[in-house]
Amino acid sequence: MNAPQPALVAPRPERLRLVGQRRQTLAIMHQRLMFGMLVYAGLVALIALRILYLAAFGDHAGRKEELTALIPDRGDILDRDDQPLARTIDAWTIAVHPTKVIGDKLALAQKLAQLMPEHTAGQYFALLRSNKPFFYLRRRASPDLVEAVNALGEPGLALEREPDRLYPQTTLAAHVLGFTNIDGKGASGVERAFDAELSNPETRGTPIVLSISSKVQQALEAELGDAMQHFSAIGAAGVVMDVHTGEVLAMTSMPSFNPNAPGQGTPDQLFNRATQGVFELGSTFKPFTLAMAMDSGTVSGPGQMFNCPEVLPAYGHLVHDTHPFGRMCSVAEIMMESSNIGMAQIADKLGTERQKAWLKKMGFLDKPEIELKEKGRPLTPGSRWGPFETMNIGFGQGIAVAPLQLAMGYATLFDGGIYHPPTILKIGPGHPLAAGRRVFTADTSYRMRSLLRLVVMRGTGKKADAPGYRVGGKTGTAQKVIGGHYSKSINLTSFAGVFPMDDPRYVIVVMLDEPKATPETYGFTTAGWNVAPVVSRTVSRIAPMLGIAPDMNREPNMSEVLPYVQDPKQDAKKD
Amino acid sequence: MSTRSFGSLFMVASCAGAALGCYLVSLRVASERAALEDVETQIVSTQSDLRLLQTEIGTRGRLSQLERWNAGVFELSAPAATQFVPNGFELAKLAQPEREPDFHAPVVLAAAPAPPPQKPQLGQPATDESGAPVAAPIALLHQASLKTETREVPAKAAVALPERPAPKSANKPVTAAKPALPKSVDKPGLAAAKPAPKKSVDKPALATAKPVTKHIEIAKVDPLAPLPAKHSGHSKDAPTGR
Repeated sequence: MNAPQPALVAPRPERLRLVGQRRQTLAIMHQRLMFGMLVYAGLVALIALRILYLAAFGDHAGRKEELTALIPDRGDILDRDDQPLARTIDAWTIAVHPTKVIGDKLALAQKLAQLMPEHTAGQYFALLRSNKPFFYLRRRASPDLVEAVNALGEPGLALEREPDRLYPQTTLAAHVLGFTNIDGKGASGVERAFDAELSNPETRGTPIVLSISSKVQQALEAELGDAMQHFSAIGAAGVVMDVHTGEVLAMTSMPSFNPNAPGQGTPDQLFNRATQGVFELGSTFKPFTLAMAMDSGTVSGPGQMFNCPEVLPAYGHLVHDTHPFGRMCSVAEIMMESSNIGMAQIADKLGTERQKAWLKKMGFLDKPEIELKEKGRPLTPGSRWGPFETMNIGFGQGIAVAPLQLAMGYATLFDGGIYHPPTILKIGPGHPLAAGRRVFTADTSYRMRSLLRLVVMRGTGKKADAPGYRVGGKTGTAQKVIGGHYSKSINLTSFAGVFPMDDPRYVIVVMLDEPKATPETYGFTTAGWNVAPVVSRTVSRIAPMLGIAPDMNREPNMSEVLPYVQDPKQDAKKD
Repeated sequence: MSTRSFGSLFMVASCAGAALGCYLVSLRVASERAALEDVETQIVSTQSDLRLLQTEIGTRGRLSQLERWNAGVFELSAPAATQFVPNGFELAKLAQPEREPDFHAPVVLAAAPAPPPQKPQLGQPATDESGAPVAAPIALLHQASLKTETREVPAKAAVALPERPAPKSANKPVTAAKPALPKSVDKPGLAAAKPAPKKSVDKPALATAKPVTKHIEIAKVDPLAPLPAKHSGHSKDAPTGR
């Protein structure tokens, strides 16, 4: 039993076991190898396919996107004749990274002071020694300066191009265009009102076409600027408007600013007197009162007579005239000689409620409906609007509106009585004419033509006449309120004119703020002496451009008013 | 056998060739597209340059600048209403030249081609349109009583000139009366030898010699005279040099 028992089953030979093991290992190895190879082949195939795909359909490396059309960084603004008024160009910018400057900082500061003398070498040196990462040295640098700075060879100086807003006509229509701030956002004027359209990549490719005509604007600015300088006025404003569409062809406010450098403009310069400023515009309001009265039937026509004494006592006050009639006078004479006493009686007959309703219809009690954001709210007597205030408003005192609104009122009156909201965009396929609303009857509108022509032919506005262009209009001299009282000597003069009067097409409103008397005005500061000549000169310049042929033989139907005028005076002193 | 063993190789080669061909086509398309894009980019950059230049010109020639020059330097002003003319006729009237009689101008009478003569029927006197009998034109011509002497210059003088090649005249058919030297006309000394004017070419009698007297053009037919019936015969007889 102790003898070792032979194994009943021969043990598996070692070799065979090894072979089996190896085969198994080999199989696993094969499997793994195959897997790895498949993965590798897959990757290679993927890359090959991708390469093939790119070769067939892909873009090449130098492909630039969206360069098939020139789309500026901010939309252009054009005038009605497609002249650019605002454009975005690539301007050179000179900047410095003080930490990256490797040369001698003192020498660099001296050279910079030579090239850009707005700062001293000491200031430049302090700037370079500060550890701030970045400074602008000059934006919108001239190419010569950029070349000179580049020649310094300092790697810390950065010369870059960045989009910059340029106003090629500089101060022309500055208040209309407005300006952009340092981030390129519109800060005033059209730039602000249409900021979304100008900056949106979808819409900025198509420029914004304004109703402004550069040539008309230039003529208005030049003539008004001359007058402002000549009469030492503190400000001026002017508007030219299309009677039939309400398009503003020119709008200016002075003193003006350069939108290319808006930072240099004072608040007074940046203030738009044509839309933001509200003024008591005086007698230029009288045609509205008369039109309201004729339209309501309280005044029959230019022949109706009123008693015009030297002084009119009314509701505890006295109404004065500069040149009182002291007799019975017709409506035509009241208009021609701009009689406050006569007009006060007409306004009194009209009544407060009706006057309010008319003014509301004409848009004089609300902000003007123009697209610009800089708009002033008109000032009215409000709750104190009684019978005397009605008289006051009748001849243009006690209500303050913007010059643009005055132009709007005249456009309404002479477009057959239809109001169109004023617009700064050109009326065309992209901007159709807004529906108007009737304010006055066409008959009233027609009868006002000869009355206003009479003012220029015989009355206070004689100096506004531009021979051949049939200007009609009304002067307005309002006393300014200084310290709560109407000043006797400080005036605000205005003229609202329409031409050609036989078929009204354009309205022109000009205003001078505090004009001073000169020897040739014989000491007068009334509108007939200072703003009326501006209208005459401006109309003579712009009427041919606007396609109005001069004609010495055409006039509105003056036989409607001339029979009611007696003793035509030849002076234009009074307003 | 060799075909069968290399079959797969051919297959691979043809596949590779086809793929290469396709790739080349695609490459070609891509390169064309790239070239097109380059052109488009160039167009855009040119447009941008144009825009920049236009802006610069517009800025330099801005209206306020023009106004300064117009009003300040040139002292121009807007035209007055009377300076406008209503239509083109009025404008043309302004440009009408003033007519002054020129007393020194040579007398030039208009020469109108005469209509073909109507031969009067046999037995009827020659009449004009109104039916009045027509006088011979020679009878209507007033002749000055003063006769000027005419010097006859032999035409040989022209021949004696040194001959120079005249390139221009080579092209033209040289007429009998015209010497081969067209420039000799300009020389005053040769005025005597001046060939007869071109109009007289058809008159061989005058071609040989020319009177020195001042040449006056005269109508061959008095245009005011009633048209003669036998016009052609008379006009030939009429004196040409006064």
